[in-house]
Amino acid sequence: MTMQLSKDPLNVIICGVGGQGNILASELLASALVEKGYFTTVGETYGASQRGGSVMSHVRISARKQYSALIPRGEAHIIIGFEPIETLRVAREYGNSQTKVIFDPRPNYPLSVLIGEAVYPEIEAIVKELRYLCGSVQVLEATRLAQEAGNAQAANILLMGALTAMPEIPLQAEDYSQVLSQRFKGDVYDLNQKVFDLGYKQIAV
Amino acid sequence: MPGGMQLKAEVLSTSACALCGACLDWCPYLKNIEDHLVLRFDCPVEHGRCYSVCPRTLTDWQAINERYLADVPYDSDIGAYQTVFRVRRLQPIQDQQDGGTVSTLLQTALDNNMVEGVLITGSGDPLTPQPYLADQEEDIRKAAGSRFLASPSLRKIMEAREKGMEKLAVVGRPCQVQALRKMDYNKPADSPPLDVLSIGLFCMWSLSWSFKDYLASTYPDLTFLRMAIPQHAVELYTNEGIKQIPVETVQSYIRPGCRYCLDMTSELADISVGAFEPEAGWNTVIVRTERGRELLDKAREANLLQIEEYPSEELERLRGASHNKKVRGLRNIKQAVDEQKLTPFIDLSSSPYREIIAESSAKEGF
Amino acid sequence: MEWMVTVNEPGKTFLMQGNEAIVRGALEAGVRFAAAYPGSPSSEILTMLGHVADEMNLYAEWSTNENCAFQACMGASFGGVRALCVVKQNGLLTIGDALHTAALSGCKGGVVLLTADDPNAHSSTNEFDSRHQARAAGIPLLEPATFQEAKDMIVYGFELSEKIGQVVMVRSVTRICHGRGNVTLGELPESPSSPVPIGEWDKLIAINWFHDVLWAKLDQAQELFEESPFNWYSGPEQPELLIITSGTGWLYSVEAVETLGLEDKVGILKLGCTWPLPEKLVLKYLCKSPRVLVVEEVDPFLEQNVANIIAHNPGLNVQLYGRYKKSALPQSFELNPDVVLNALATLMDITYQSSKTGEVPAEAVVNIPPRDLTFCAGCPHRASFFLLKQTLRIHEGNGVVMGDIGCYTMGGQRAGHFLLHSLACMGAGINMGEGLGQLTRFGFNQPVLALAGDSTFFHSCLPGLVNARYHDSNMLFVILDNSATAMTGFQPHPGIPVNCMGQPANAMSIEKIVEAIGCPVTVADPYEIEATTQVVYDLIKKPGMKVLILRQPCATLAVRSKGRRKVWVDPELCRGDNCGCGRFCSKTWGCPGNIWNNQTGKAEIDEVVCVGCGVCASLCPAGAIKVEGGEA
Repeated sequence: MTMQLSKDPLNVIICGVGGQGNILASELLASALVEKGYFTTVGETYGASQRGGSVMSHVRISARKQYSALIPRGEAHIIIGFEPIETLRVAREYGNSQTKVIFDPRPNYPLSVLIGEAVYPEIEAIVKELRYLCGSVQVLEATRLAQEAGNAQAANILLMGALTAMPEIPLQAEDYSQVLSQRFKGDVYDLNQKVFDLGYKQIAV
Repeated sequence: MPGGMQLKAEVLSTSACALCGACLDWCPYLKNIEDHLVLRFDCPVEHGRCYSVCPRTLTDWQAINERYLADVPYDSDIGAYQTVFRVRRLQPIQDQQDGGTVSTLLQTALDNNMVEGVLITGSGDPLTPQPYLADQEEDIRKAAGSRFLASPSLRKIMEAREKGMEKLAVVGRPCQVQALRKMDYNKPADSPPLDVLSIGLFCMWSLSWSFKDYLASTYPDLTFLRMAIPQHAVELYTNEGIKQIPVETVQSYIRPGCRYCLDMTSELADISVGAFEPEAGWNTVIVRTERGRELLDKAREANLLQIEEYPSEELERLRGASHNKKVRGLRNIKQAVDEQKLTPFIDLSSSPYREIIAESSAKEGF
Repeated sequence: MEWMVTVNEPGKTFLMQGNEAIVRGALEAGVRFAAAYPGSPSSEILTMLGHVADEMNLYAEWSTNENCAFQACMGASFGGVRALCVVKQNGLLTIGDALHTAALSGCKGGVVLLTADDPNAHSSTNEFDSRHQARAAGIPLLEPATFQEAKDMIVYGFELSEKIGQVVMVRSVTRICHGRGNVTLGELPESPSSPVPIGEWDKLIAINWFHDVLWAKLDQAQELFEESPFNWYSGPEQPELLIITSGTGWLYSVEAVETLGLEDKVGILKLGCTWPLPEKLVLKYLCKSPRVLVVEEVDPFLEQNVANIIAHNPGLNVQLYGRYKKSALPQSFELNPDVVLNALATLMDITYQSSKTGEVPAEAVVNIPPRDLTFCAGCPHRASFFLLKQTLRIHEGNGVVMGDIGCYTMGGQRAGHFLLHSLACMGAGINMGEGLGQLTRFGFNQPVLALAGDSTFFHSCLPGLVNARYHDSNMLFVILDNSATAMTGFQPHPGIPVNCMGQPANAMSIEKIVEAIGCPVTVADPYEIEATTQVVYDLIKKPGMKVLILRQPCATLAVRSKGRRKVWVDPELCRGDNCGCGRFCSKTWGCPGNIWNNQTGKAEIDEVVCVGCGVCASLCPAGAIKVEGGEA
């Protein structure tokens, strides 16, 4: 199987809110890619490491060499969003008219909204602007599906399943499973595997 | 009707607050420790109960008078009233203030099912006022004796509502009686019924709680039993006898909000009770409304109170004292308004304020 | 992943975090002793060393502060073992005197000082360039540009340190420390370095007489740097523009050259050894190009040292560009590919256009609410700041609050009702409070409060507390004790009975220390908001130096051990927007667990976020919030 990527470097952004398992998700993905022989760089931006703050991981994949930890503006090929307004924030800065976006529509309310000083936008409006900004936009109710499968906190793994199924990503489902089994055992592994498969099926044709 | 932010701007931040306590308890933003009452966090509500019940926000006092004291002859010095009496208990009780009339009236109201409970101020500590709801005689006795530190006791009205009380007797300072009338006058249509029988106290002023700190630091080893203010003196009863405190010292602890008060005899109450100055052990009682009269009559029928005619020279003196308080209060209000330190809670251009101001300025070069 | 750093498979490639790579480097170098104080972005290094200490037969400690850590490393070095000290940029300044004197005395076992800078101050009060300290103290400096180098330079650093007998600084940044990339493992030694007896005439003394010796060591390092594998050039023989770069600047520069298609016009001299500069190597490439762009984080440190070389070689005809006076790059904030791309494009007179999003019509542009930092759900600091703010408002004395560094620093923002009046560095709260509290004698009568966390207390407040008590300052020192060094990731401190290696440690009581110093001390629970408000109110009315400990464990930790209680809102009782509430829980209390349902007009609890502390239930004016189940 050729190592060549459809785009090199392939730039993926995984974004959300602190506490959603953003970092774990990107680490699992990147580990699977390194196992496969790719150069992968992950850059994390997580402010004061506080729960509830904006988080984003830049994942840069190359068959040729190691890239820097930050993606240039407008150069993200894929955006995976764990949270709607974070997805929009990232898309505006790093997306372009070809970017593919998959995001979970479950809001995580910022303090400004909780105290009634700002209004959380309608999801339809977010999807609408995303569709103007980027190439394709897909809503995937990862938290709800993960909750039904047994644990809402595993939404991040579900979204990694969805990402892995995308044709641009040079991974098979088993490659990711291997990484999961290295880190999780017993019931936790089973749940994560189940949730991963659920996400994969949402996207795979 | 404005809300908490306006209350803060017009009353709480301007030292106009009388510490009646009417605004507290329903609201999570208003809070007090001792006599510091503040809006602890900004309130987003545009139309608030607090503003509508506060006696220091602009009020049409004439309309309130007309609602609750409609057929009662009006006196510009001591308010609308039917009769003034000299009264005392036939059987004295421990710690009673003056004639013990208030405690007796409360007990009478309960015994005759005129009310389900009473809201009074008292506690084990003879100086510190703690408001509480009571329906038993021994609890009323605990509250015997006046306390001169201000207490926001109307905060307990909410508790009465929560306990499902529909008829309540409240002993209050003039500002508290004003607030009680505003509470009823401005109550929302769907508000559960709460019928208040008000026993208003005579009041010249109340003291800041820092007075307690002063006593503690000046007389560190004494136990205080009670305080009394016979004419022109302040007496502190302690375990080592009576200490005289200079009037000027006490006056320096008067709450700033008290300086704007225009009501010495609780002019809006059902019945008002104060000390009878010429003779210790007696009360002055002003009967205003029919309910007030009914209460006094019942106490008389039960042979609890000795009720005598009121000497006319004392009535003149009482009216003079009350009038002078209005003059002083209006002077303070007008000065503060002119200096933009106060938002007026009365219409200075209406009667009787206009006349009193005119009269005083003619006399003193206002 | 932890098992990656200890696995004995030289040649295997893993995805490793920069901090993990540093740990692996330390293990490959046979480090026996490691000491640090938590500080982002470096905290993971010592945490991991603590976890593997037993397995790898080494000693790791979270020292009480960086000074203790660094000098402990010098002590261990004197005993002959290799010692790693890890600090963040601010911690490096804490060890100023210690570092300079250590450079003078030199070391025995190798000592590597890993300093982690935070360009853009993602998790810091300021952005700061540690490299100046290497030059000021006179010690060699290495800067990794990749995750691989983060590992390899630790090994090289220890070898260098022992070769010349000097402390070596390795300077990393957030993008290396917290980034992840391919790292190929090296060999682990049979066993880590072992102690060597100290003879009667073995000394480790800092005296000025050694200043020339210090310079000689630097010269020695410079010779070695001329041949170091961490410095190399790639590009055309005669570049039109030469980029000199170190650290993260390298990958940004490579990508910029590639994106603009300038591989045959622009050369890149990558330097991994940046103090002392390998001058011969640098000169060799300076001669080849009339224009030089220096790309580095944070200050124009490398640029000014290159300028120094140019000044001493008057034959050179070089125009220098970089961060100095913003000649090509901004003087503040973090570098990224776009900044370098734009600078290079400008210098080479090319237009660079990044890919663009599609056009969005004005009416479709969504108004995105900002995401302020706030305390976690259940955080005791939320309760502490709420009660302190309301107490000061009720007291009506215009109380002044001096802040300090920790999770509670965020109390200076909306989440803490903007309570803090001042903020500087660790230990500043009590010291500034002490000064302000002495002004009572000149008529200053506002209550003075100073805050500190439990870890901050041990780190830098002890001398401040002694000072304030000795001089009887009029102030209230409030210690926010959540039993953790929470902000940096729950590392233990001297109040916690288990150390970073999982072994029992002699934890000490904060109140006993305070009592021993002679201050009256009160302990209260911040979750008991109304009762503790009264406690604070009574305390600030008293004169003199007073201490209050607000003790309640960090909610995130508590949930892990005790599980969550269920909390919910009874919509029948909830007053919502109406008078008597005004969304008090979500608007004023502001916990992320308290949310507002626009459809029903009622408050709700977000079950995913709520930890079950129950404080909001005690504040609800309608008693609409209910709590049940779990442990109290």
